Amino acid sequence: MIKLALRGARSNLGRLILTLISVVLGVAFVSGSFVLADSLRSIFDQVSEDAFAGVDAQVRGASDDMNSTNGEIPRFDDDIVSAISALPEAEYTEGGLFSFERAYTIDANDEVVRPTGPPVFTGSWAGPSPVSSFRIVEGEPPVGQQVVIDPVQAERGGFVVGQDITISLPTGEPEVFTLSGTIDFGEGGTGGAFFILFDLPTTQRVLGLPGRIDSVVVSAAEGVSPDELVTAISAVLPSDLEAVTGEVVIGEQKEDFGTFINIFGNVLLGFAVVVLFVSTFIINNTFATLVGQRTRMFGLMRSIGASGKQIMQMVFIEAGSIGIAASGLGLVGGLGVAAALKRLFSSAGGEFPDGPLEIRARTIVVVIVVGMGVTLASAILPALRASRVTPLEAFRTGGATSRPLTTRIALGSAVLLPGLIFMAIGMFGDPGGTSATLAMIGVGGALTFIGMSMLSAMFAGAVAGFIGAPVAALRGVTGRIARGNASRNPQRTSSTVTALMIGLALISGVAVLTRSILDSFEEVLNESISADLWIFESNQGLEFSGLLVDQLAELPEVDQVAGFSPTAIRIDGEVLTASGFDSSTGTSVVNMGILEGVAEVGRDGLAVLDSVAEERQIAIGDSIDVEFEDGFVTSLEVRGIFDDAALAGADWLIDRGLSREHRITDAITFAGLTYADGVDPVVGRAAVEEATSVFPQLSVQDNTEFQEEAEGQIAQLQVVITALLVLCLVVAFFGIVNTMVLAVLERTREIGLLRAVGMTRRQLQSSVRWEAAIISLFGALLGVALGLLLGWAAVIAIPDSFVSKLGIPWGQLVVYIIVGGLLGVVAAWFPARRAARLDVLEAISTQ
Amino acid sequence: MANLWKSCLRWQPLDIEGRLQHVNATETLTAAARIVNGTKTYGSGDAAVTALQNINVEFGGAQFTAIMGPSGSGKSTLMHCIAGLDRLTSGDAFIGETRLSDLKDRKLTELRRTEVGFIFQSFNLVPTLTAEENINLPLSLGGRNGDREWIDTVIDTVGLRDRLSHRPNELSGGQQQRVAVARALASRPTIIFADEPTGNLDSNSGSEVLAFMRRAVDEFGQTIVMVTHDANAAATADRVLFLNDGEIVHNMTEPTADRILDTMKSIGN
Repeated sequence: MIKLALRGARSNLGRLILTLISVVLGVAFVSGSFVLADSLRSIFDQVSEDAFAGVDAQVRGASDDMNSTNGEIPRFDDDIVSAISALPEAEYTEGGLFSFERAYTIDANDEVVRPTGPPVFTGSWAGPSPVSSFRIVEGEPPVGQQVVIDPVQAERGGFVVGQDITISLPTGEPEVFTLSGTIDFGEGGTGGAFFILFDLPTTQRVLGLPGRIDSVVVSAAEGVSPDELVTAISAVLPSDLEAVTGEVVIGEQKEDFGTFINIFGNVLLGFAVVVLFVSTFIINNTFATLVGQRTRMFGLMRSIGASGKQIMQMVFIEAGSIGIAASGLGLVGGLGVAAALKRLFSSAGGEFPDGPLEIRARTIVVVIVVGMGVTLASAILPALRASRVTPLEAFRTGGATSRPLTTRIALGSAVLLPGLIFMAIGMFGDPGGTSATLAMIGVGGALTFIGMSMLSAMFAGAVAGFIGAPVAALRGVTGRIARGNASRNPQRTSSTVTALMIGLALISGVAVLTRSILDSFEEVLNESISADLWIFESNQGLEFSGLLVDQLAELPEVDQVAGFSPTAIRIDGEVLTASGFDSSTGTSVVNMGILEGVAEVGRDGLAVLDSVAEERQIAIGDSIDVEFEDGFVTSLEVRGIFDDAALAGADWLIDRGLSREHRITDAITFAGLTYADGVDPVVGRAAVEEATSVFPQLSVQDNTEFQEEAEGQIAQLQVVITALLVLCLVVAFFGIVNTMVLAVLERTREIGLLRAVGMTRRQLQSSVRWEAAIISLFGALLGVALGLLLGWAAVIAIPDSFVSKLGIPWGQLVVYIIVGGLLGVVAAWFPARRAARLDVLEAISTQ
Repeated sequence: MANLWKSCLRWQPLDIEGRLQHVNATETLTAAARIVNGTKTYGSGDAAVTALQNINVEFGGAQFTAIMGPSGSGKSTLMHCIAGLDRLTSGDAFIGETRLSDLKDRKLTELRRTEVGFIFQSFNLVPTLTAEENINLPLSLGGRNGDREWIDTVIDTVGLRDRLSHRPNELSGGQQQRVAVARALASRPTIIFADEPTGNLDSNSGSEVLAFMRRAVDEFGQTIVMVTHDANAAATADRVLFLNDGEIVHNMTEPTADRILDTMKSIGN
């Protein structure tokens, strides 16, 4: 039986290879996601271990849930260092201060030297020591007006040791430092991050934090265990500081990186699952067709004594051999996919640390299970059908009888309905937790697609006929034959284009969502922004020194300037995000959408989003106790209720003058300003740019530029997502090739007849190509229509503060439809050639 | 411009009216199709099989010829070679005055479209096209409308007027073969080849189809060559050629079913 099955697989090798490719693509994507994530994990694990290699204990601010800034940790006075170093258990003690994205090296062309993606750290380093995170690569540790940086940054900036470098500082006054050396963590490099290191006093000075540090690293004296050291240190610490072992720090560090890498890996896996899902339709379609074509053979086998179960096994063995082959190829292909993904993200502006790609045992197991599972699962229905072939069917002429459409419609509806319901629950309901929501949407989406695929058979014939009408009218009998063939087997037409439908549905859904985001954004900008200029960090929207607002306010060309910064607050024990804005000037640059009261809340007031006010039953004039990041508690009066969370960026508004005093950093995320009366915009802008130039990472833009910039960034994200989804189209492409090859084979005799009565090779080729074009246009239309629905549903499901209106990118959608049609034409190239090369006589005498 | 030129070329050898008159007037002078010293072998060396052996045959205009012979006698090969579906190993096949071996695939296809009609035993029609579209198929493939009056006459003759918009699977076997006959006649080809046209039909439908072929010869001056196993079918023809082992062994005019059967028996022995 196995022999027979394998022989069956071999005799259908050509067709199965196309199927194989579609499985391999999906499996390779899965394996690539794992490989990439694992490689990143290894690199960052190494970085974490290198960085804290000699540290037995670390002292830091007690961990707090109130911290609105990414990467900044609480600071404390540096006099604690002497207390710790006085302990007999401590061998070596070093206090340090770190910050990120505050200072940048400037190259000879006045350009900021920075990686795209990983951060730039600014911090202190006391030189090589048992607890040192860094090791010298070249030169000497920094002292006074000296600096050390990592070798990658040095190379990027064209800096050599001994040279003077200009460094932009958060003080707003760039300074020149001598590059005394270069450093890294160890073998793992720096994981792509850049470092700018001074000695501690210089670090405290340039960061504007005199006498402050954020950590003390300690190595234990001989014979003292890390735990004993921690106990000893804890005894001398005030309550707002804590001591932990180096092992704990390394663990936390790995976890921090791990969380990010997991998200990244899971997003990739999500795409991989979509591709796999799409390829199941191709496998299913191929096996269904192969089983249909071999009905007579199965009937013959049944009549000579094979059981239905044996027939089923045969189909499964055939599927299994494909699954194994696909898993093996996919595993290897995963390395290529990982490399390609790295390049894709690099080209989109991300930067990947270098490191070898690694295949872990887990990856191998998962890939084999997934490859086999997907292939076998897709073969279930065809195998069942094969097992039901009766011996009598061996003697029946003609092809397989197709199942009545009614069954398909009933089944399709039975799948589609719960699919839609799941999606609705996922989008509009609250199934509890992000993963539950995603699972709901995922499962619902999958069921919806399966249901749509089954139901589309219902109208595939009619729609293909409709799409083919102009072809038939324009291309004469060739077109009529193409149209007839496209609509003659609705089930096959619909299952052929399912992959294309899903791929284009997702791609156009993303396009619709992107357009909607941009349109909503544009509306917000146009309606509620009165600022003449915006200042922000253009790369990732990172925070920057709040000092700039004060400096800009001094300019005679500037009338009003306001900075905005998020801050964590605690109300009734709940940690919330508030937006700190300069309430006295803020309303002149943005319209806060105040419904009641005022936006000028002052240092002792706040404003709240209307829906939150309603929920919490807050009214103007109420007093609310608010706790800040540093533990300061004050009572604020509700002075305003607003309806525009899009601009506020948070449900609560407080005065930035108040929040900056009680936040770890005074950094802001953006600032807006208006020109003074009568100032020429060109002059005004020049003045602002001059003042801002001390922070070279910042962009100064007017509304139009701001909008274009945002569009560019969102469009780039769309490009990356679309590029990942294009793999679905590749799978779909092979599916169409496959179907067309099968169709041509099935119609050999008809082709012979057509050739005999005078159809030229060229006409035959053209008719096969048109047929594929009509089929894929059908799939493309279906996909884009579904994509519109998906996009629309997403716009409804996503809060109005982010997307408030539906935007439809007609141009893009039309392009997708055309691309879909062309895909069919290209896919039919080989089958059409094959059809045209058939020998007329042989074809016509085929049984 | 190029198209105009092409269609001139296409029309040039056709000139239907003129040719028909010409054929009728000089029936015996110009054959509708002929094979001169035709030999066809398959394979090579020891495995070589000779299907046709130095055959010379002419099919006169407005004549209905039946080809008979045991299985493997070469009758189908003869038909395929003269119809331009297969090529002779040596010798020449002509349709009118066109030497088939001079033609490349494209020209050969166009020749089949314009000068040759086909009726096969089964699977004669394109399932996705209606009866009318099937009838017009060779004409439409050449981008021509054809002679509408003539096609109407053909349709009425085969009695398909009320079935024109039906698809093949909605027609009976006899009706399908009548559509095939109509298609073969529609372009007024020089010659029609029929390969066991009644092989799959019950005797009533079979005689109907044969009657139409007979009328096509008698009333429209059509030339038909039919390969058949059926003595009764062959008896409708004007003459019967008997093939055995790749050679023409007998040529019978004014055939009857009984004489045909006798001849077949003698060949068998």
